[in-house]
Amino acid sequence: MLNYSIRRLLYFIPTLFIVAFMVFFLVRLIPGDPIQVMLGDGANPETIAAVREKMGLDRPLPIQFGIWLGSVVKGDFGTSIQTNRPVLQSIRERFPVTITLTTLALLFSLLLSIPTGMLAAVYRNTGKDYFFMLLTILGVSAPVFWLGLLSLLVFSVKLGWFPSIGFVPIWEDFWTGLTYLILPAVTLALHMAAVVARMTRSSMLEVLRLEYITHARAKGLGEGKVLIKHALKNAFGPTLTTIGIQYGQLLGGAVITESVFSLPGLGRYVMVSIHARDYPAVQGCILFMALIYVVINLVVDLMYTYFDPRIEYN
Amino acid sequence: MFMRKIYKNKLGLAGFIVILAFAMLALAAPWVSTHDPLKADVMNWKAPPSMDHFFGTDEYGRDIFSRVIHGTRISMYISFLSVLIATFFGVSIGAISGFYGGWIDNIIMRFMDAVMSFPAILLAIGIMAVMGGSIYNVTIALGFVYIPRFARIIRGSALSLRQKEFVEASLALGSSDFTIIFRHILPNCMAPLIVQITLSLAYAILAETGLSFLGLGAPPPAPSWGNILSDARNLMLDAPWMTVFPGIAITMCVLGFNLLGDALRDILDPRLK
Amino acid sequence: MDNILDIQDLHTFFYTPEGTAKAVNGVSLSLKPGEILGLVGESGCGKSVTNLSVLRLISDPPGKIVSGKISLDGQDLLQLPKRDMRKIRGDRISMIFQEPMISLNPAYTIGNQLMEALLTHRKISRAEAVNRVVEMLQMVEIPSAEKRLKDYPHHLSGGMRQRVMIAEAMLLRPQVLLADEPTTALDVTIQAQVLELMYKLTEEFDTAIILVTHNLGIVAESAQRVAVMYTGRVIEEAPVKDLFESPRHPYTNGLLRSVPVPDQNRPAGREPLYEIEGIVPNLFDLPSGCSFHPRCSRIKDICRHEQPPEVEVGTNHMARCWLYA
Repeated sequence: MLNYSIRRLLYFIPTLFIVAFMVFFLVRLIPGDPIQVMLGDGANPETIAAVREKMGLDRPLPIQFGIWLGSVVKGDFGTSIQTNRPVLQSIRERFPVTITLTTLALLFSLLLSIPTGMLAAVYRNTGKDYFFMLLTILGVSAPVFWLGLLSLLVFSVKLGWFPSIGFVPIWEDFWTGLTYLILPAVTLALHMAAVVARMTRSSMLEVLRLEYITHARAKGLGEGKVLIKHALKNAFGPTLTTIGIQYGQLLGGAVITESVFSLPGLGRYVMVSIHARDYPAVQGCILFMALIYVVINLVVDLMYTYFDPRIEYN
Repeated sequence: MFMRKIYKNKLGLAGFIVILAFAMLALAAPWVSTHDPLKADVMNWKAPPSMDHFFGTDEYGRDIFSRVIHGTRISMYISFLSVLIATFFGVSIGAISGFYGGWIDNIIMRFMDAVMSFPAILLAIGIMAVMGGSIYNVTIALGFVYIPRFARIIRGSALSLRQKEFVEASLALGSSDFTIIFRHILPNCMAPLIVQITLSLAYAILAETGLSFLGLGAPPPAPSWGNILSDARNLMLDAPWMTVFPGIAITMCVLGFNLLGDALRDILDPRLK
Repeated sequence: MDNILDIQDLHTFFYTPEGTAKAVNGVSLSLKPGEILGLVGESGCGKSVTNLSVLRLISDPPGKIVSGKISLDGQDLLQLPKRDMRKIRGDRISMIFQEPMISLNPAYTIGNQLMEALLTHRKISRAEAVNRVVEMLQMVEIPSAEKRLKDYPHHLSGGMRQRVMIAEAMLLRPQVLLADEPTTALDVTIQAQVLELMYKLTEEFDTAIILVTHNLGIVAESAQRVAVMYTGRVIEEAPVKDLFESPRHPYTNGLLRSVPVPDQNRPAGREPLYEIEGIVPNLFDLPSGCSFHPRCSRIKDICRHEQPPEVEVGTNHMARCWLYA
């Protein structure tokens, strides 16, 4: 167990390094002179030279990467060109919105998907199963932003059940904050719910035909206990991995959802920075979100041992 | 079991027909569309659906039906081409990695892992942010993002096939590495490859429309599905039809690929069921 | 003495797209308290399905118990509501599975899984349950039983796991134990020990056993009676001595002759081991008449067209064969 965790952690470091390298490299892909592009055509040569020196762009690439990586490790994600504030500070202000949104979406999608997937497996190849599976395939086919627009159209504009646009932090006024978050979170949750439901169904099917399930029934356990205690815990391992991977979809989807619902989160910050050609901000945000994703998947890997104690041996 | 197969295949067939219909629409867009997708007609702005404008018009009076039809073209073009790029590079990289193994494999797969450790759409957003919006760039960005999925599939089977007798025999007979990869390794991973291609086409359409919705795809006034929906955002009260129809088109098209992909998986690779 | 378990004319079918598989097709068996009944036959003959039918654990769909009667101490199990049936499983009738590697849940500790049945069927405290489980583990001779409670199944060897299974099955002192190839997956040296333990416990608790196996040696050593199954039917049933000394059904005969017996009079390696010709017929497409007729060496004309009846061929000795009708 401990051994496995340490191995996972060691594996984690090179991944982080390459992720950082890619984010660093991404900005060097800007065609032409990045400084010129950033500052626009009107910038005078002195300013350009000053910014270039400040960002260390006049040095060889490997050294630039080293310096950049060093400052990232120290928590310096660069300075926004637009606002001249540290990027990390802006991230820190917006991150709570995104994390609340994605956590809520995660919650909704698990509440929807796990029971659905289990029921579909129990009623495999019956009308109920086909109905659920048809729903999930629709769920993975509809684009998030369209579902967002539709739900705004129906529930906010036509029915007036939810406020259409705006945001109140959930940590300041929980219930009002929730009304602003429910539509975006549900919208964001649907795709993941569909994917996780399909995964839950297939891994439940896999587990349900195993002998220890018959054994559990032969002991005289009730069907609920057989399904939840004996089947679900074993089926949950593969599902958990899917959830980890799908969290990336949530983060990516958050960029879109925050745009649709005008939520002041990280995703929106990315988009605003992109349109303002504020590359250090874009770079910082993408690095930050990739780090979150990598960390979440590490946590998922570590949790896996709980659902499958055999893992320590492999 | 048999009933299920028929049922599944029926859905797969439905998916195939849907895709075929969209592909034909894309090819025949100029003849099918009733209006010029770019032509403004201010006299007829925000007109609701009618016999003249099946899906209504937008704030410039452009015909939504014709824009949606032409949008099919853009989406199909980008998704097919990007998946082609991803397949080509993914297959080559995966085959090299799995076939040669060792440090080559290690380096390549570490890099692939790193690409996969970005949420796909976020990486595409990042690439589009630096490269700028154009149909060409979206295709490259999506093609790049999907490479690792293909590389992983091919690498897995290349690794296991390399140990098989017929590959060793073939090597002993003096076949070149290239021949072995093409004659033995590729045909053996056709099933998962085809499934992955079909499902990736679905993802690519979702990603393309998403990017374009965010203003990172084909630049306006190009009639891409994402662009129409992006315009629709400000007209939700006045012209709800602008929101409804392009979304249905996207969902249908993606659904087609997903249904076909699922059916193919069931038929080609029963153990994945 | 009255029978503890009585199976009468049991039919269990599986409805699949390829057709209906009559896995159990009119089986009648009975079991006295403390008795060991050997149930033998090739794989696919319906031995395991019979056992699972007793506990009503046939997965539906595709399987279904179509007709018959299964009485436990005079009570028809097939008529019981599901709730009451659950109370019988693991308490009055328990089961041991073939593969100890896959019949224990890998995600829970031994202790957790052993206590489960106890806590489900008895109103006792956890502490008491722990005591009884430890006591039972000691009875199946598992060393440092208390420590094993916290182990996961993958920490134990196959033999140890099967001891755990036996401990669990006997924990509630059942009236009937259904043992499905309990030692097939184990090393030969361990097989004897495990069986020994099983018999010791069942004798102590007066538990009757249906011992499903294809190993005739095991049956010869331990069972009082033997039933031979072929394509869903019992084709011969007799006290163990009779069956081994004078098998009547040609199939039983073939089965016995295909077991290697060390024989001093026979020069080693000269005579090949007997083999019943042909293969077990497909359950979807059984031959007409006696389903054994295509493989039978003593075939009569009637065998091709008509089912043989049960024939009394000796004291408590039944055979389903036209040779004796």
